[in-house]
Amino acid sequence: MPRPEVRIVTFSIDGREVQAPEGVMLVDGAKHGDVEIPVFCYEPKLGQPVGACRMCLVEIEGIPKLQTACSTPVKDGMVVHTQTTRVREAQNSVVEFLLVNHPLDCPVCDKGGECPLQDITFGWGRGISRMVEPKRHFKKPLELSPLIAIDRERCILCYRCVRFSQEVSEDYQLILHERGAQSYVGTFDSHPYVAPFSGNIIELCPVGALTSRPYRFRARPWDIEGAGTVCTLCPSQCNVELTVRDERVLRVLGRDHADVDDGWLCDKGRFAYQAIHSEERIVEPLVRDGDQLRPASWERALSAAASALGKARGSVGALAGGTTTNEEAFLLQRLVREGLGSADVDSRIDGSPMPLELQRALAAPALGATVPDIEFAHTVLVLGTEPVDDAPILDLRIRKGVRRRGVQLAVATPRPSSLDRNAKLWLRYAPGAEHAFLAALEAALGASGDVDRLCAVADADPKAVRALADLLGEDGRGDVVILWGERVGAAALPALLNVAGRLGLAEREGAGLLEVPASANGRGLREAGMQPNAGPGLSEVAAAGRSAQQIAAAAADGELAALYLLHTDPIRDGADAPLWRRALARASTVIAHSAFLTDELREHATVVFPAESYAEKEGTVTHPDGRLQRLRPGIGHPGSVRAEWSVLAELERAVSVRVPQGDTNGHSSPLTGPMATRQLVEAVPFYAGLTLEEIGGRGVRWQERAAAEAFPAGPAGPFDVGEPTPVASPHGALRLGTFRSIWAAPEVEHAPALKFLARSATLEVSPADAERLGIENGDRVRVGNDDRSVEARAAIRGNAPAGTVFLDAGLPAGGASELVDGTPVSVDRAGVEVTA
Amino acid sequence: MSTLEIRRWAPTGDTVIAVQRGPEPGGAGGLYRAFGETLRGLKTTFGRLVEGTYVYQYPEEKIPVYPRFRGRHKLHRFEDTGLEKCVGCSLCAAACPADCIRVVAAENTPEQRVSAGERYAAVYEINLSRCIFCGYCEVACPFDAITMGHDFELSDYNRDDLIFTKEMLLAEPLERTPLRTEDE
Repeated sequence: MPRPEVRIVTFSIDGREVQAPEGVMLVDGAKHGDVEIPVFCYEPKLGQPVGACRMCLVEIEGIPKLQTACSTPVKDGMVVHTQTTRVREAQNSVVEFLLVNHPLDCPVCDKGGECPLQDITFGWGRGISRMVEPKRHFKKPLELSPLIAIDRERCILCYRCVRFSQEVSEDYQLILHERGAQSYVGTFDSHPYVAPFSGNIIELCPVGALTSRPYRFRARPWDIEGAGTVCTLCPSQCNVELTVRDERVLRVLGRDHADVDDGWLCDKGRFAYQAIHSEERIVEPLVRDGDQLRPASWERALSAAASALGKARGSVGALAGGTTTNEEAFLLQRLVREGLGSADVDSRIDGSPMPLELQRALAAPALGATVPDIEFAHTVLVLGTEPVDDAPILDLRIRKGVRRRGVQLAVATPRPSSLDRNAKLWLRYAPGAEHAFLAALEAALGASGDVDRLCAVADADPKAVRALADLLGEDGRGDVVILWGERVGAAALPALLNVAGRLGLAEREGAGLLEVPASANGRGLREAGMQPNAGPGLSEVAAAGRSAQQIAAAAADGELAALYLLHTDPIRDGADAPLWRRALARASTVIAHSAFLTDELREHATVVFPAESYAEKEGTVTHPDGRLQRLRPGIGHPGSVRAEWSVLAELERAVSVRVPQGDTNGHSSPLTGPMATRQLVEAVPFYAGLTLEEIGGRGVRWQERAAAEAFPAGPAGPFDVGEPTPVASPHGALRLGTFRSIWAAPEVEHAPALKFLARSATLEVSPADAERLGIENGDRVRVGNDDRSVEARAAIRGNAPAGTVFLDAGLPAGGASELVDGTPVSVDRAGVEVTA
Repeated sequence: MSTLEIRRWAPTGDTVIAVQRGPEPGGAGGLYRAFGETLRGLKTTFGRLVEGTYVYQYPEEKIPVYPRFRGRHKLHRFEDTGLEKCVGCSLCAAACPADCIRVVAAENTPEQRVSAGERYAAVYEINLSRCIFCGYCEVACPFDAITMGHDFELSDYNRDDLIFTKEMLLAEPLERTPLRTEDE
């Protein structure tokens, strides 16, 4: 669906001629003429207006009664008055009416000072109240959830929170109970409102009825400062504003950016800031002393790291993930490649290396889709990713597209998706069978190949695959956006590119591919050169190094002497935890930048540098759609934490890297953050000329700049798909699929407010398998293959495919990475104790 | 209009406001009016001269202050329950032109109830070396929890000691500053 064309109409408001786009509501249209109309319930992000609060009444010539400006679209020639006595009387009365039951406890209310009800009462109210009767009383304050406090006395029944729950996040939990003056917001049956996006209602509430529990009574608006930056806890990279008081982050608010996050935040982004100020955080360098890590001075830690790395020259493996910025990744790969003579750098901790040709073809500017494209596409295919876990904010964008713009959604994933309900078509294939599935889809779209045979290999329903091909390849169809997860694996990519080629995604403006990387800055890390087979700017390297998996194997075999871990814990992020444990134990030097100590680091790390949180970082990150965004420090470094680019630069100096002559200042290593950015930009041809000023607060997509022409073009399709390897067909055993929950993150585990959501191993079982194995919801079970096993709690999921179970990955221990990937598993009820 | 009609202004009744003029200058009355009042004021001056010098033996003897004298702040408790009146709303900090008040609030729990409202001031500090004693905090306070007291002896050897904490502000001053009675 193309974006709607905008027509401009002229209307008159308070005697001024105002031009506004046709169809916008009067409230928004009035802003074009600098006229403010007060509103409570109106919020365009929530969809259609409801006109519940009546605050926006205006007089329109030709209509006898006052009209709500929030639900009246502007028309050509309309004459509107907002300053007449009649309108003022109405506004006064509405304010008085809304305050009839409002307790006016502003001094103790967290909203006080930034409260629309206060502002509007001050600006449009009568100033006095005639109300002497007793007010409505509720029990207060109550917990709506562990994260949100509700004060029902303050509620003005604007429906914003309920609409968010019903129409935006679609968790359908919040409702209004009772009628009239007795109405109150709550969940059915009064269970806690726990949902991935629940925190947004705090920001939506125009009064102090819904307030954040972690922020409760922490500060008043005049005590705090706002600091804009970008959240780097997942690839969505939402724009956020940190609320800072006394060098502590107290709250995270959305910083509305229509091209990135649409103004929403997930609860991880909103509440995981508490991990920044966790007591357990490492705030000084630690150096191994015998069998213990001891705090040390920076000089000592840096020289210990430099000498250990220098000794391991030529056999250093480096991994980067998490909040690593482009600059840090660039410096790290330069340090390892040029300073330490090793090519073993990677940022796909749990993935397989992607051939450079395919990467260039996939990242081609013409083939890339943007986030808003999801909303305006004709069809969106979600392939091998669960947006709510992998990039939560995209989940809301897809829902918005389906609900408001008529996007046709297709979901093709191994694991049941929360988007299935909204999908026109959903289908399942076996975990790890993306290659076969995409080959089947390509065949169904008209390529040579036997759809039925390939579907059998992928364990997918051929009828569904054909229906999907019809949906995507529909005659006269509009744009198609394929949202695919990095975890589909490298083998599936030729088929994906062929599907994109057949659908002509590269030729259409609003169509394309959008990758959901596994790590928060996955795209930026790769473009900065943090991968074994490509240098900065996806350039060729003389000799390809080892991938993450090979680094682990080599270190475990003693071929690599040193491991450098930047913002990543391979036990958690990697595919094979036991192998990584062996690797860390065997490597003579392990240098890590980490915010928290894990058991493995405590035992094996040589030097641990304290990692910066995203609130302290300076640098750039790249959004999956190519938007470079800027991280700005919101708070100072706690303890003796230093900027990580400067740590890497120090190490670079210590092992004396010679920077190519292109560096304009003749400095070998960056001395300031912006200098690191400049060196990165000089090294990546398609970032050329980019400055921090140009990126600014809203970011810039490199594909939209002239320098994008320097992008190294990949080969044109079609690509050789190859023969997909059949997935394990278990005889009596079960296929193992893995997923990484949104809550499987160290930040969640270290944030007191979110601790209750931290994941423990959960095994999702289909009802059929559960019945066969005699498992009930909540049972403790033992999952095992190849002599390895983990204990998990069983959860029966309705539309999970029979024969496949799904186990949590991304846990600090005891997750899916303890098992062997791609091998059938057996499930037993462990110890038979059933937890109640 | 062909002929210009000039109407005579003839005020009647209420439209006339009689203005009283002052007495003409000159004469004995004029002389008294010029110097008499001055002499009356000088009588007080000369009276004090005759009275002789009196030195207040400060600090043993203190000059009583007027009731509305704005000295060091005081925080108050409810007399019946003993709970603090301050709810930590930070409005005083917002009103303070010298930015010398710092409030960090916390939540009352049933086990530990400090104030009457939902919240209380966990930290309430006034930096008296910054304070200009304007009394805006007193005006801003919605619960009459802070008032300007009468103590003015605030000098200290250490700047840090001039940061008064909540406990110090709640406590009764060791020595009361004498208050001026009505006729003094």
